Amino acid sequence: MKRVGIVGAGGISRTHADRWNQMPGIKLVGFYDIVKDAARAAVQRSGGRVFRSMHELLDSVDYVDVCTPGTAHVEPVIAALEAGHPTVCEKPLANSIFDCGRILDTAERTGTPLFIAMVVRFFPQFAKAKQVLDSGAIGAPGVIRTVRSGSFPDAGSAWRKGLAITSYYGDFAQSGGVLLDLCIHDIDYQRWCFGEVERVFARGMMYAGKEPKDHALITLRFANGAVGHIEGSWSYPRGRFATRIEIAGTGGIIEWDSRTRPPVEVALEQEDGSLASSGSSPTAPQHDPYYAELAHFVRCAEAKEPFLVTPHDGMMAVRIARAAIDSLQSGKPQYIR
Amino acid sequence: MSDIRIGMLSFAHIHAVSYVHFLSQMEGVAIAGIYDDDYDRGGRFAAQYDVPYFRRVEGLLDQELDGVIICSENAHHAPLVLQSAGRVDGILCEKPIATTVEDGLEMIERCRETDTKLQIAFPMRFAPPVMELKQQLDSGVLGEIYSVKSTNHGSMPGRWFVDRKLAGGGAVIDHTVHVVDLLRWFWDTEVEEVYAEVGDELLHPGLGIDDAGLLSFQLKNGVFGTLDTSWSRPESYPTWGDVKLDVLGENGLISVDAFEQNLQVSSEEEGKTSWVNWGSSGDEGLVADFVDMIREDREPSVSGEDGLRALEVALAAYESARRAEPILL
Repeated sequence: MKRVGIVGAGGISRTHADRWNQMPGIKLVGFYDIVKDAARAAVQRSGGRVFRSMHELLDSVDYVDVCTPGTAHVEPVIAALEAGHPTVCEKPLANSIFDCGRILDTAERTGTPLFIAMVVRFFPQFAKAKQVLDSGAIGAPGVIRTVRSGSFPDAGSAWRKGLAITSYYGDFAQSGGVLLDLCIHDIDYQRWCFGEVERVFARGMMYAGKEPKDHALITLRFANGAVGHIEGSWSYPRGRFATRIEIAGTGGIIEWDSRTRPPVEVALEQEDGSLASSGSSPTAPQHDPYYAELAHFVRCAEAKEPFLVTPHDGMMAVRIARAAIDSLQSGKPQYIR
Repeated sequence: MSDIRIGMLSFAHIHAVSYVHFLSQMEGVAIAGIYDDDYDRGGRFAAQYDVPYFRRVEGLLDQELDGVIICSENAHHAPLVLQSAGRVDGILCEKPIATTVEDGLEMIERCRETDTKLQIAFPMRFAPPVMELKQQLDSGVLGEIYSVKSTNHGSMPGRWFVDRKLAGGGAVIDHTVHVVDLLRWFWDTEVEEVYAEVGDELLHPGLGIDDAGLLSFQLKNGVFGTLDTSWSRPESYPTWGDVKLDVLGENGLISVDAFEQNLQVSSEEEGKTSWVNWGSSGDEGLVADFVDMIREDREPSVSGEDGLRALEVALAAYESARRAEPILL
């Protein structure tokens, strides 16, 4: 039985806790959060105990799962790596390239396994699209377009209310807006599919003074000559969240859209005569992307095998997202060194 | 805990490829070997999974097996089950259970006599969209159920599937049993009456066997419905076929398209647009359930009787078509 401790008791922490609690061979032993009430609430919901310090958590676990906001990754991740515990770090690896460098240096020096939770690589449709691309079915890479657009991630659930997470996202100097918080998924996915990025150009609302709304359109040029487009949004109408994949090559194209008709549709007539309709796209529990990424972490950590997402991948995604923000400010394309 | 040792008996049915793939990924399971009367086919899969190939069934049954998976031609299910019964704890037999009721009864009886668990491969029970429908139905949200319209379309598979002696029929025997099994499972009921319009070589001139079937049925629980079993998906179609169910009740409609989780892939090499499924395969759940049955020494979740009831409906459909009248089961 391996013991897992979670650092940070916000929204994604709850998602992870649910998966840890389902996983055979894993015991979720508790939470540490600088906001003690948040840790208490997490324990009440997901079990385990409240750790009063990072030190106390590190003494009680085999694995560490860092779910704090991006600005607060560097300290707990470095502490966990120094303690020799294989560690999961939520995306982005850190909010500055400087902090990414500190984490990478520590990971290299200690040799402690570090997995960056780039969950999009574990969504079955995104993983399948990569597999089809790699099979050669659409020829050589040409144009990749992805979309990740929804409404602002505010405190819709009681869980998040009062946990200061909303103000974190809305403070773009902290969160990096959609470019660093949301588009990082697509940057990582596109780089996984098409290879290294040569330059990035971005337009967006980060500096438009409309916080917490944000919206960005990014273009990428890859080292192999291919190009990429990313839309990321916190300005879509609520309930209209959409993701999309389009990968075109010299011999074909792969397409997927989250808004196509779902496999299960329920349409019920209510007592007042109105229609209640809903759709779902269920998969087996082990194919849930959050479960799959954490199970991947455990499997690789135990077999001492490299992770699908390396610390270098985590840093490159931050580097490209930061370059996109620089492009927004300068109005010029930014080259990735 | 020692590995559960599974032997594969024949790769004549393409589903064996998927079953052995998921077996190979499971912890605590060993693929003990492959028997196939087709030397090239058996040898190829044995090499791929790095397991021994056996030219004779007995050779594989001697390998201290816990279970076998039978994916032979339909008519060979019976002899292979009869031979394996008593030599293993569990048998997973591809659908339909057999080509005749007599064979099916003998298989069930022999397995009972030898205390061998017989499970029929109905993977749709393990497909997440279908499981979601089952949950919705169990919750009662639809109120009284009126009707179910269903399809299990396919592409014309050719090979032994169109040989009456080996397959027992064409599209109707091939594609009736999956959905009938689901209907029986949803409501713990039986098909009471079936009427069928069966089409011989309607879509594939010269095929020599039925390639279209429209079944109209009444269930014992009062629900009526239809099922289209036709091999009506041409080579140029984006996918092999479908399993779709529209369940109508007093409060509304639930529509399931079990293979709707797809990427659309247009490939110049293929010369067409295809749907590549990314959903969770029911085969994975089926094989895991079979191994779990052996490990836990429990009753099969889909029994030989379930397989026989579904076969009876397919055979009644042919009978109905011959007589052009509804058949009471």
